[in-house]
Amino acid sequence: MAAEMQRMPFFYNPEGRLVQVDYALQAVSRGSTTLGLKAKDFALLSSQVRPTRALLEPAEKVFVVDEHVGATGSGYIGDVNTLVDEVRVAAQRHRLVYETRIDVGTLSRVLSQHLHSFTLYAVRPFGASVILAGLDELGLQLVQVDPSGTPFRGSGFAIGQNADEALEVVRQGYRPDMTLDEALALTTRAIEGANGGSSQIEHGVVRRETGKFERLALAAAS
Amino acid sequence: MTTTVGIRTKDGVVLAADKRASKGFFVGSKVVQKIFALDDATAVAIAGQMSDAEYLVSLAKAERRLLTLRRGFPLSVRESARLISSIVYNGMKSYNPFFVELVVAGVDREGAHVYTNDMSGAVTSEDFMSSGSGSPIAYGVLEQGYRQEIALDDARKLAESAVRAAMERDPGSGNGVDVLVVPNHRFNAEVN
Repeated sequence: MAAEMQRMPFFYNPEGRLVQVDYALQAVSRGSTTLGLKAKDFALLSSQVRPTRALLEPAEKVFVVDEHVGATGSGYIGDVNTLVDEVRVAAQRHRLVYETRIDVGTLSRVLSQHLHSFTLYAVRPFGASVILAGLDELGLQLVQVDPSGTPFRGSGFAIGQNADEALEVVRQGYRPDMTLDEALALTTRAIEGANGGSSQIEHGVVRRETGKFERLALAAAS
Repeated sequence: MTTTVGIRTKDGVVLAADKRASKGFFVGSKVVQKIFALDDATAVAIAGQMSDAEYLVSLAKAERRLLTLRRGFPLSVRESARLISSIVYNGMKSYNPFFVELVVAGVDREGAHVYTNDMSGAVTSEDFMSSGSGSPIAYGVLEQGYRQEIALDDARKLAESAVRAAMERDPGSGNGVDVLVVPNHRFNAEVN
């Protein structure tokens, strides 16, 4: 039995867990600390840009998916990039057929199905979690999707290194009516707290009044 | 064959169509339904090959239901028209064209809309429009009678008289008129 299990690591283990998915989650928890936060008038994505060395440009961590939706992720950056491209294509396909902006729920479903399909067969699941923020007919949306394909909706998410500590900081400082500046300060504090010191952080925000997602200029570590 | 008419007013839309199905020079049916509701707030009037049009309507209904269930809110009239147009366009480009001309009309959160889809997949938005073999005659009536501020009930009468005029002179149209009125408040009656 044990030998059989060794040969098929992509099946359920005797405890009923998909160990490959567990390992993928483990890979995410080694990624850079990344937050999503939704308030009354905006949704904010903040991601730590891993300390770079001299002569190296910092990696892009916050992505525009379509004009009204943004994404960020944690884990293997190559996996994050691939997943972001998947939802970008879905957004444009929707425009091609309906000539309207895709809703965030549909985008997260595309992402979920894509991730889930990699848990069924003998392949490596994506080592990345993605947070989507956007505005659609149903209002502001914040969704996190993990490597198993499970989508979570909510007002605050943390993924990556020391995510639990960061989320606790966000939880304590969160108010639904907070301003963008307060939210930026909060997520910055949470990310820096979780990483024990000043960090370079990239932010992206979608505002209810404009309906546009925009990346904010990368602030240098203070 | 056929005559269909769609009119947009500020209070809603009207669709009208005759009831004749032609088989060459023979009247194949005198009681054919050419107006179909996609849901409470959106409807289409069909002209052209009946089988193609009915299949297209069924397909559009299924796709709309799926999308509405998945995303949690219904399609706008424009989205419905674009959906049908992309199906028709893909058909044309794969040498399996749908021989249809549709009027997609309805009300959504932005108000009342009338769109037309031809068999090439082109979509146009109009205040009033007509399709089918009787349309040149119907257009004569519509051009005379349409006003920007027309009341919904007057639009209903105008649509009916346009189809009736076409039935008088177009051998492909006849055997009575079906009329569907979709007032703006129908949208609110929906889930959202």
